[in-house]
Formats: sequence, C-alpha cells, structure tokens
Amino acid sequence: MGTNLVKFSRDTARDVRVVARGWRWGRRPQVPRSAEPYVIKKESSVFPTKWARTPAAIAVREVLQKGALNSVLRFEVNPQVSGIDSLRKVNGPAVIVANHSSHLDTPLVLCTLPDDMRRKTAVAAAADYFFDTWWRATASAIVFNTFPIERRGGKLSSTPGDLLDDGWNVVVFPEGTRSPDGWMERFRMGAAYIAVEHGVPVVPVGIKGSFAAMPRGRGWPVPGRPTVAVRYGDPLYPAEGESARDFAPRISAAVSALLDEESTTWWEARRRVATGASPSQSGPDAARWRRVWESTTPIKSSAQKHRAWK
Amino acid sequence: MSRPGFVLEVDDRTPPLLVHNGEGFLLERFPLGTRVVYPPEALPPVRDVEEAIQNALLNPIDSEPLPELLRAGMRLTIAFDDISLPLPPMKKPDIRQRVIEAVLTMAADAGVDDVELISANALHRRLTPNELRDIVGERVFRSFFPDGKLYNFDAEDAENLTHLGQTKHGEDVEISKRAAESDLLVYVNVNLVAMDGGHKSTSIGLASYKSLKHHHNSHTMIHSRSFMDHKASKMHHSAWRMGAVLTEHVKVFQIETTLNNDIFGGPLEFLQKREWEWSIKDQASMLATKRGLDLAPAKVRHKIFTDVRSNYGLTGIHAGAIEPVHEKTIENVHKQHLVEVQGQSDVAIMGVPFVGPYNVNSVMNPILAACMGLGYYFNSYRGNPIVRKDGAVILYHPVDYEFSQLHHPSYVDFFEEVLSESTDPATIEAKFEKQYAEDPWYIHLYRTSYAYHGVHPFYMWYWISHALDHCGDIVWVGGNRKTVERMGFRSASTLQDALEMVSHSVGRSPSITYLHNPPHLLADVR
Repeated sequence: MGTNLVKFSRDTARDVRVVARGWRWGRRPQVPRSAEPYVIKKESSVFPTKWARTPAAIAVREVLQKGALNSVLRFEVNPQVSGIDSLRKVNGPAVIVANHSSHLDTPLVLCTLPDDMRRKTAVAAAADYFFDTWWRATASAIVFNTFPIERRGGKLSSTPGDLLDDGWNVVVFPEGTRSPDGWMERFRMGAAYIAVEHGVPVVPVGIKGSFAAMPRGRGWPVPGRPTVAVRYGDPLYPAEGESARDFAPRISAAVSALLDEESTTWWEARRRVATGASPSQSGPDAARWRRVWESTTPIKSSAQKHRAWK
Repeated sequence: MSRPGFVLEVDDRTPPLLVHNGEGFLLERFPLGTRVVYPPEALPPVRDVEEAIQNALLNPIDSEPLPELLRAGMRLTIAFDDISLPLPPMKKPDIRQRVIEAVLTMAADAGVDDVELISANALHRRLTPNELRDIVGERVFRSFFPDGKLYNFDAEDAENLTHLGQTKHGEDVEISKRAAESDLLVYVNVNLVAMDGGHKSTSIGLASYKSLKHHHNSHTMIHSRSFMDHKASKMHHSAWRMGAVLTEHVKVFQIETTLNNDIFGGPLEFLQKREWEWSIKDQASMLATKRGLDLAPAKVRHKIFTDVRSNYGLTGIHAGAIEPVHEKTIENVHKQHLVEVQGQSDVAIMGVPFVGPYNVNSVMNPILAACMGLGYYFNSYRGNPIVRKDGAVILYHPVDYEFSQLHHPSYVDFFEEVLSESTDPATIEAKFEKQYAEDPWYIHLYRTSYAYHGVHPFYMWYWISHALDHCGDIVWVGGNRKTVERMGFRSASTLQDALEMVSHSVGRSPSITYLHNPPHLLADVR
C-alpha cells in the first residue's frame, strides 16, 4: 500500500509537471504556429497629412524651410543648382522625380526649387519609415510637407493623385529607397503611373554628391561642406496613349542623362543620348568598395571649375 | 459555426498531445514537424429533430411519402442498426427510437397490424432486451417485445431465411425471410461513418453467412481502398450488387440519419478539444481523470468507460430510395469528418480508444483492438492511405490478454489456435474459416446466448488485411508483448522506442502523421 501510494504520488507529480510545462502555467499560453488563426491584415491606417497643407501649416513651413532648413543645409553642404530654367517650362502641377541616395535629397530639392514652386510641393515619403511614429510623421509633414506612400507594393496610395489634382507638385523618388552605394537603382513604375493617370509632366532631377555628403547610416552631413550638384531637366510629358510601362524607362533615362551631364557637359550628354551611348548610372559591375569609391569622387565646385555650357 | 478539421504541425509551442490508449489516455510529446490531423468540430445539429423526421418521411427522395406506402392488411417490417452504432452509444432518446416511433405512428394511422421490428445484427451478437429497449425506446419495446415482434435477426435460422437469387457475379443474396416477404421494409440507419448505410444496411445487416462470405473475405477486403469510401471499396461494390437484387424483390424505404462529432461531454469534454485551447478547467479535468483512472481498479475503469454516453446532434435525416438517400447521407458525413491532408507520410500514429463496434458493453480484446486500429482507423481515408506503401504504423493500446467469454467465445480460440498457426488473412481463411463458421457450439451460442458468430474474428482479421498488406512495420506502444507478438506485430515501451524500431525501414527522420481521433475523422489524402 505504501509503495503504491509513493508511486501514485510520484506519477501525479509527474503528470502535474507535464501539464504545468506543456500549458505554461503562470506564463502566457502559446498557440502552435500552424494553428494560429488566419487574420486578414488590417489596412495600415494612413496618417492624415491634410492639415500640413492648411494655410497655417504652410506659413509655419515657410519659416522652417526658408529660415532653418535652408540655412543649415547651405551651411553644411554646398549645393550647385543648374537647370532651373527648365522649371519655367512647367505650367501647373508636376511630378518631380529624382535619384535618391541620401536623406539630403529632399531638403536639396526643396531648397533649390523656386519659392513659388516650393510652396506648392509635397514629398512622397515611405509610410513604413517616416510615418511609423506620430512624432516622426508630424515632424516630416510640417517641415517637408510629406505624405505617406506604401513602397512595399500593395494598394497605391490615392494621395499623390489627389494632391496633383489639387495643384500640388509631388516629389517622388522612384527607387523606393536610398541607394546603398550612391549609384542609381532600378526605377519603379509608381511615378510614371501617377503622371500618366493624371496627365501631368515629370520633371527629372539628377542629384550627385549627396551620397558622399551624407550616406546611409549618417545622421548629419560629413564635415568640410561637400559640394552637391542638383540638376533639373526639361519636363517630360507622357505621349498620347503611352503607358506607364513605356514612360518609366524614359524618366529613368532622363535622370541618367542629367547625371551624365553633371560629369561632362550638356552638349556631350545630349550627343550621347542621341547616339544611345549614355553611360549607365547604375555604376560599374565591380566590388562594392569600388562602386562606393567611384560614386563618392568629390565634385569640384564651380568656384574651382569654369566650363562652357555648365 | 464549427471549425473545420485541420492539420497541425507540431512545433516548439505545441503542448503535449492527447493520445487515446484503451481505457485511458496519455499525453505524448511528438517529434517536431509531426503532422496532427484534427477532425472538424461538431457541426451544428438540426434544431427540431421531430420536424426533420416528419419532413424526411413525408418528402422522401425518389419515393412516395411513407403514409402513401402504408395500408391496412400489409406486412411491414422495420429493421434498424444494432448496438455497434453509434460509438460510443447515444444518450437517450436514441435517434432510432425517434424515427421508429414516427414510422409506427404513421403505420398505426394507416391501420397496419402486421408489424415486426428486427435488429439488423447479421453475425453480430444478439442484443439483450435492455439493449433493445435502449435503442427503440420504452413504448416500442413494451408494444412489440413481449409478443416476439421485436427481435434480433438470426442468420442461422435456415427456416427463416430467403434466398432471393444471385448477382451477376454469382453472389448469393440470402436475407431474413420476414424482410424478404414484407410488403414494405423500412430500414432505420445511423450513419456514423462513411462506411455505413446504403445497400450495406439491408444486404449485410439482414444477411446470412452464405451471403456475407462473398464480400467479407480477405481478397475483397484487401481491395477495399478504403472501405470508408463506398465508391472505391470492393466490399461495397458487392453489397451494391446484392442490393440491386434485393430491391428487385423487396420494396425498401431507407431512412438514414447522420450525427455530429459531439462525442464527449461533461468532465470528458477536453477529449474533443484542441489541446492548446484547454482552459484551466480542462487541464484540471484531464489531470483528475487521468489520476483517477490510474488509481481505479480495472473493473471501475471499465465501468467508467462503458457508461460513457454521447450527446450527438442530428445533422441530417434523409428517406426514400436507397442510393439517392445514401448520396445525401455521405455528403453530410463528409461535412463532419473529412479533413484534407497533403500527401502520405512514412509513419502513421493512432491511439486506439476504449470502444469499437464489437465491444459495446464488453471488453476490447486484442483482435478487436487490432481491428479498431488497423481496420477502422487505418481505413479512415479517401484517396490514399495516410501512410505510404511499406511505411510504418504505430498504435497505442495496452492490448491486454482479455476476452469476454460471453460475447467473444470464438475469438479466444481464434487467438490461441488460428493466430498461433498463421497471421496471414488468406491462409487462415483457406484453412480455418469454414470450420469456425460451421462449428455447432459457436452457432448455438450465437443463436441462444449473446455471442458473436464463430466466423466473426475471421472477419476482424480480414478487415486489417489491407493494412497488413500496405504497411512495412506495425508497432504497438505500451502493448502486452505476448499478445502483440501472437498477432505478428511488435511492441515498444515508448514512442521513441517505436520510432527507433521502425527506423530501419523509414529512416531516422521520417515524416509522421498522427490521426487525432476520436472524434471521428476521414483523411482526404491528396
């Protein structure tokens, strides 16, 4: 009897232990992964940015951009702007498309645009990066007039279209993210699609030197006031019946040509475009360090270099 | 809304899983990656059972309404499924009682005097009066039993059998004389699993050995793949041919009912819940039950399980011509049992529970345990077996050397005499079947006592013939070594040992599928 009782107690203790461990007594219960209920992903709530385009917000932004942002930018880097004349050819809203290799790109574009155009320009920003917290979303919306855009596919945000319809210019970086080595990545179709859908021109912008000035991973430009070149190109209009699929490569080629122009001259670049000999702006097919090395070649400031057609 | 069945993949978050093990259960930790097939949850039952019955009888499929088939002066026979269905037995009132009462009410209204009720037990044991009363209810029992109008079918009563002819394959169709000579035979079925019902009801339930031996043999059973899918089962093909002959002679009004998976209620409810969803109460019930069962003497444990009565909800009732009714029935059964499983695995694991069709109110002897695991559970598939050809099956059951001398006398001799000679179904069929089938003592016990027919253990062995043919290895976990060995299998102390034992044929990291039943499931293996 005694032995039986001992055995019974031991077995009971073992069973209780098995259940306590198996069902995680005192801890949060777990569901096997394959048994987790399928939950339809909730549509990410779009951070409202309409308030950032109210007269009050525009007034605040004017002070921030013109006062603080412009001063700090020009103190830290040396922007060299060219092709402003091309912007005069644009009437009404446009999609401003630039290559993207640094967080400097947005302030560079905004601070180099003519004031009347800048005041009517909004910037598409990654919803998952700039709109993940309320404070980041609010700050970027007030300073840069950003609005969230889903870059990981899925539903196209309707905001850019609405903005264009309301007469706003929209800055889009079609690469979707900053370049890891300063060279141009593949352009996605979003910008071309918006332009085709809303019948607005695309203003190509080539930005060179921003990677060297403030690459990924840096929170502030490198010391030494590096030169950064911002070159605006002539607006591109989607042709009658042209699809986004056909229009997108033209935009990409125009940005490439602007970057080529930056390292040569307008005339040479035009000639090369005409003969289809524009060098690829996706960089050499070589080890990463060589790509980075080449893309960070310092740009000589115009003070040191005077060239015709520049 | 009940959830459908699904296949779980065991991962590090999975708690130990419940495995039925005869009159008890275990908690087992399966290797990571093991697939566990869970049956669908109980479907919502029909809200008004009486109304559903009336509707089925008054609006039958491909038949006149029942009241139109009933007239004064006719001979009406009502046959019903015996105690082997449903499993575990149903809480009162039994669905058969409710249907039979409805049929008898209509018969009384039509002025039918000559009514007899027959339990379609074929070569199963006779039902005791109490068991008959549990099925048909007090009113019916009191009205018919004292006059001998409610009785068990006797397949050895030559004078009361009628040979209706042969099928085109030369199969004899010999059934109850009373049923054969009735103006109307109403069959009241309980379709618990996909195997039941259709022509199997009358052509098998009311048939004699002469008729049954055409499909209850090793050759037919090995080619019934599976007998849970009547379209792919040679046994059912034979029954369907017999049914065609039978319905030429007898007007049959088939009533088929389907039940949901609501098997375990009250303190045993955890048995039909998914383990990770066990509440504290379920965990406590499980611990209390498990410890209580460990402490209880075997007799008490046996009584606890024998007394289990299930709630069951009616999911459908259809009446009319046999084949269209059965199609509807199968649809309902599939809704409740079918679980889609992608591909076969190297190893299948099954826990054999405390009850099978042939040990209600009795003992699950080793042969019945083998039949339950390798017959019923192994065949619970549609398409392909859950385990690949030459794969391994691991079963859980104590397989005690325990027989009921009252219910299974021929099983004892089969176990001792036949299995010691051979375990090959075809060999034992050729060598021993006739002797057991015609043994006068077994026949006497079958007719006068409550014994299964002498040939019945052979049928159990034929039912596992497909599994024996298909599987490379069969290992019982926790099984009595001697009894397991006698049946030609091997036993292991733990799952790990069993997997070790089968590793020579399925490798060190086999794919494993555990069929988490009961409640019943039918694996639709793609």
